[in-house]
Amino acid sequence: MNIKEQIVSKITSFPTLPVMANRLLHALNDPELASADIAKVIQYDPALTANVLKAANSAFLGFRNPVNSISEAAFRLGTKWIFQIAISSLIYSNLKKPIPGYDLDEEKLWKHSLAVALMSEALCALLRVRDSGSIYTGALLHDIGKAVIGEFVSAHFDEVQSLIDSRKITFEKAEEEVMGIDHAELGALIAENWRFPALIIDCIRWHHSPDSAPNITPAIDIVHIADSISLMEGFGYGRDELQYQFSDKSAARMNVNSNIIELAVSQTVMTLEDIENIFKDMPAARNGQEVRK
Amino acid sequence: MALLVIGISDYQVSTKPEDVMITYSLGSCIGLTAYDPIAKIGGMIHYMLPLSQIAPEKAMAKPAMFADTGVPALLRDLFSLGAQKSRIIVKAAGGSQLMDQNKIFNIGERNFLILRKILWKNNILLKANDVGGVISRTLRFEIDTGRLLVKSSRGEAEL
Repeated sequence: MNIKEQIVSKITSFPTLPVMANRLLHALNDPELASADIAKVIQYDPALTANVLKAANSAFLGFRNPVNSISEAAFRLGTKWIFQIAISSLIYSNLKKPIPGYDLDEEKLWKHSLAVALMSEALCALLRVRDSGSIYTGALLHDIGKAVIGEFVSAHFDEVQSLIDSRKITFEKAEEEVMGIDHAELGALIAENWRFPALIIDCIRWHHSPDSAPNITPAIDIVHIADSISLMEGFGYGRDELQYQFSDKSAARMNVNSNIIELAVSQTVMTLEDIENIFKDMPAARNGQEVRK
Repeated sequence: MALLVIGISDYQVSTKPEDVMITYSLGSCIGLTAYDPIAKIGGMIHYMLPLSQIAPEKAMAKPAMFADTGVPALLRDLFSLGAQKSRIIVKAAGGSQLMDQNKIFNIGERNFLILRKILWKNNILLKANDVGGVISRTLRFEIDTGRLLVKSSRGEAEL
């Protein structure tokens, strides 16, 4: 087996997502289901319900009267908010582990992923792009490939870095040259294995190369821009540092200017720490029935 | 020794010689230290953005988010503790960028440009800087000596 085959073979042994994540995502994309049905899906899972209620009652939201049920949380905070908290708490355990290849300590990839998700959310609002939750989820999972490719990066880091230094190419291009696959493509394969909706898979696959996508969507551009800004601002990056490129074409397609970028940064930094605190001692979502191929 | 971690959009000042300030993961953000070697008073800021005009209400809540509100606030606090402007030593690091980055989106470059203007307006010299590149920096600042160490993937050096 060459390196790429070894890496890809790890996908099937990678922890599966709780089946609930898929149910939520498909509910989101099912035109037959009203938004209130998201609340019903969450209510089926007691552990997930407990996590959402814990978040709804966190100090930073400052409700005087406690939120007692999912439907009440949906009423007070909106369906989108409870979806975001629910999907984040389901993905949390897959992202919080340390990834030595990238020098990412415990919680660091999680912090970066959450920053990119919140930054995407801020950009959607500023650019008036409607997101029912798929962009948020794509942003949250954009670097999931790092969790698998990390150990291989560890073994080949010097090769990757010397290629970057000599040829001035980006980190993900060097990954691909040395190992035959980069963390974005690998992440997309993981999400395909999880049977995620195509829109989310595209956000993951093209987050460093939006211009190469055969079908460029606002979702792809938003996640790319949000990731670039988060890297710039130092929200949880590792050994790959800032060795990536920001696509000016992507910015032009979305009509993004420096004002919008700076506004998105100022909004994200205010909520990032509060949302991080919500998750700090949140129990991992129950990994009930696993998603099998 | 007390270790004071300066978070993103945060600043602190100290008069205690045993204090050491640290700030992590400076990308396009800038970490600035100001130090009076005679009074042994120092402070550090980790700001993210150049100008507060984009979000004045955020600047009210967190002045250290922006260069134009944070740096003057840090200096004011140091002066009120007894630091002298004529003796103040200012150093800055950070201001990184992504590869081949377009100027319009280069927050790091703008962060440093605005800082130089603010210092120039206040008649304060920037003694040393380590700015730019595609690296992430961590700063360590000792109140007792004023020593500032910059650590990155390229190694560790005193600034």
